[in-house]
Amino acid sequence: MDPESMKWIGAAIAIGAGALGPGIGIGLLGYGAMTALGRNPEARGPIMTNMILAIAFAEAIAIYALIVAILLIFVA
Amino acid sequence: MARLSRWQKIGLITLVALLLLVLGCLYFPVPKPHVELAPEKLWTPGGFPITNTMITAWLTIVVLGLLCYFATRRMKLVPTGLQNVVEYAVEMLINFTENVAGKEHGRKFFPVVATIFIFVIANAWLSLLPGFMSIGFWHGEGEEQVLVPLFRGANTDVNVPLALALISFVFVEYWGIRSHGFLRYVRKFANVGRLFSGVRQVMRGHIRSGMGSIFNGIIDAFVGLVEFISEVVRIVSFTFRLFGNMTAGEILIFSMLFLIPWVAALPFYGLEVFIGFVQALIFCGLTLVFLVIAVTPHEEH
Repeated sequence: MDPESMKWIGAAIAIGAGALGPGIGIGLLGYGAMTALGRNPEARGPIMTNMILAIAFAEAIAIYALIVAILLIFVA
Repeated sequence: MARLSRWQKIGLITLVALLLLVLGCLYFPVPKPHVELAPEKLWTPGGFPITNTMITAWLTIVVLGLLCYFATRRMKLVPTGLQNVVEYAVEMLINFTENVAGKEHGRKFFPVVATIFIFVIANAWLSLLPGFMSIGFWHGEGEEQVLVPLFRGANTDVNVPLALALISFVFVEYWGIRSHGFLRYVRKFANVGRLFSGVRQVMRGHIRSGMGSIFNGIIDAFVGLVEFISEVVRIVSFTFRLFGNMTAGEILIFSMLFLIPWVAALPFYGLEVFIGFVQALIFCGLTLVFLVIAVTPHEEH
């Protein structure tokens, strides 16, 4: 296979497999936050703040995968 | 023509708009968007390259400066107008900082954290205005002419998030050292106290307890090393989180604009506004959290 098509396939695999983990992670975070919110609706402020913070950490990994895919398509 | 009802007017206008859209797509073909990750250099006066993201960052600084100048020109005790808006933003930021860091630390950390937030959000939102990435110069000749835009969002250049990440790293270390003292702060990362006391015990003759202490000491030292590495890797993660989000958003809007002009990009502009706000909040929030971790007193065993 020629390098051009390998680059496209590589970019697709990079972002496809790279978004799996963070997707599941963010879902788990949301589940935990909803559970906590259901048990203690008064603690809405700290729960939301910490949930957004943790989601940012998880999303950063997906962004790394996106960077690799963009690099493959536009720079390599 | 009989009087058209309101719904009929809306239907007619929609039909005309769709017809114009289809005709435009057929008769005015649009080239594929050209995307470059590295910022393009526009001029190099005296060997110093000026890129388009640099110009946009200067524009952001000018806009923020003018905003603050006009908000504080004739200050009243009960604020109205622009002063009210700016005071609202400052009050939100200081409430956020004090909620996370406590009252006295919050007041100390407020300048750095608020500056990072305001700079990132101003860069992100300014790059959504019309004129960014569309007004520029044509480089190259003939078929391969490429539009080099004059303004490009400053967060899409790796250097700007890297600079902010380095600033946040330096301030985290500075405040950690200032609140703990240099030696105690370094001891958090080079945790060899138990290792050396274990070696001293072995040399004095208590072999068994000495070996236990040496073992625990090695684990402590390893944990300290991992913490130091995670401090440094934080720079990389901050940089690429902001850069990746902003660049991906810009490329997304580009692709949508070249797909169906005007229409397809509208929801993505809304998404970009939200993402700009969230990324600024994340950057300053994470800096704040790491600052709080760095200044909390290390509990003794």
